[in-house]
Amino acid sequence: MIYSFDFSILIKYLPALLRGLMITLEVSAVSILAGIVLGFLLAIARQFGGPWLATPAMAIVEFVRGVPVLIQIFWVFFCLPAIIGMDIGSTLSAALALTLFMGAISSESFRAAFATIDKDQYDATVALGMPMRVTMLYVILPQALIRATPTLLSNAITVFKESAIVSAVGMADIMFVGRNISSASGHPIEILTVVAAAYFIVAWPMTLLVGNLERRRLERMSAA
Amino acid sequence: MRLDLNTHMLEQLNLHFISAASGRLLGGLLVTLELSAIVMVVSTFAGFAVAILVMSPFRLLRLPVRAYIEVFRCTPALVQIVWFFYCVPVLFNVFWEPFTMAVMALSLNLTAYNAEAYRAAIQSIPKLHSDASVALGLNRWHFNRYVVFPQALRLALPVLVTNTIGMIQQSALVALVAVEDLMYVTKSIASSTYRPVEIYTVAALIYFAIAFTLSRVVALIERRNRQLMERA
Repeated sequence: MIYSFDFSILIKYLPALLRGLMITLEVSAVSILAGIVLGFLLAIARQFGGPWLATPAMAIVEFVRGVPVLIQIFWVFFCLPAIIGMDIGSTLSAALALTLFMGAISSESFRAAFATIDKDQYDATVALGMPMRVTMLYVILPQALIRATPTLLSNAITVFKESAIVSAVGMADIMFVGRNISSASGHPIEILTVVAAAYFIVAWPMTLLVGNLERRRLERMSAA
Repeated sequence: MRLDLNTHMLEQLNLHFISAASGRLLGGLLVTLELSAIVMVVSTFAGFAVAILVMSPFRLLRLPVRAYIEVFRCTPALVQIVWFFYCVPVLFNVFWEPFTMAVMALSLNLTAYNAEAYRAAIQSIPKLHSDASVALGLNRWHFNRYVVFPQALRLALPVLVTNTIGMIQQSALVALVAVEDLMYVTKSIASSTYRPVEIYTVAALIYFAIAFTLSRVVALIERRNRQLMERA
């Protein structure tokens, strides 16, 4: 079979691919932000929640991390509606599954960050008579957030890449659009390479940033 | 899609049909395990070779390998798999079975991640060991063979297993390009029986059991590594 390259079709389909990219970025951004909040709550539940909160939180984290995200998306898309008796659509189920995933992997990052916060600080908040809520929001969260930033960023990259599977439940992200166009136009090489390049252009600079942040932190640690 | 009969459907969670479907599920599981095992073995060795290449002093060797690693780490596995399935046959005029294509795509992906694990481990060996080896009169090869690699392999091992767990989960993606793995079988049973809840839950539990077992192995290796470090 002789494949004839035709890069001019890229111009024709570029707007559609860009719309797909916007949807990819939107669903990733929403899931990442909601996932960070969820991850913080899960980490607090595991660290300070007592057995009644810690055990279910741990079970959720272990389960979500141990099951392919593709199955989770299908589960939310096909099974959740059957259980709650309500149709939730592909966008919401995709965002829900990705949020859960981001929450689970980020709770580990927060837990690692909590471990670096000095024990004396907890004693100090008790001595100052701070309520739990104030301690968490104004003492623990800001420090944990700063220390967890590199790992949270790399989790965000993971979620961004993982978001390609929302195409499997029919959400029109860049992967979905790319696959459709490549089968409709018969030019998979041009289109799919552009799709891959789009992911790369977003993810690579972020990976470099994470590498930089981590190197700087290592230097600071070895300097101290 | 309206699901009016849902509460009714849930009242009779039918676990009976799971046993009827267990033969097909097992077949799918075997494909997933076979696929993962091949990819794991290939990438464990290839990752090491790629790590050596990426640390090469020759720029002409280093840069293309670096580019390969970055491209595979910075694009979704699904894009890589789909790209492979659509483009490789056309580009190289070859027609492999879906299983072979899946092995190649996932191996390229995991090799890139494993190479980074090996590189990080090798570079974490302190400079002092190099000085000590020079003092002991070890040549470059003996230094690598008896000082760097044994320590680096031990350090890299937990990361390699963690990467492998990730790959097994990513392997579910090959269902989307018609490799008949556990995910594929699950999907087809779910749509032919209209019982998604039971079958997806069972499949999730199977994947979880694999990942959980391997993650215990990681914890075990890490504990042993820590003990060895403390003794040293």
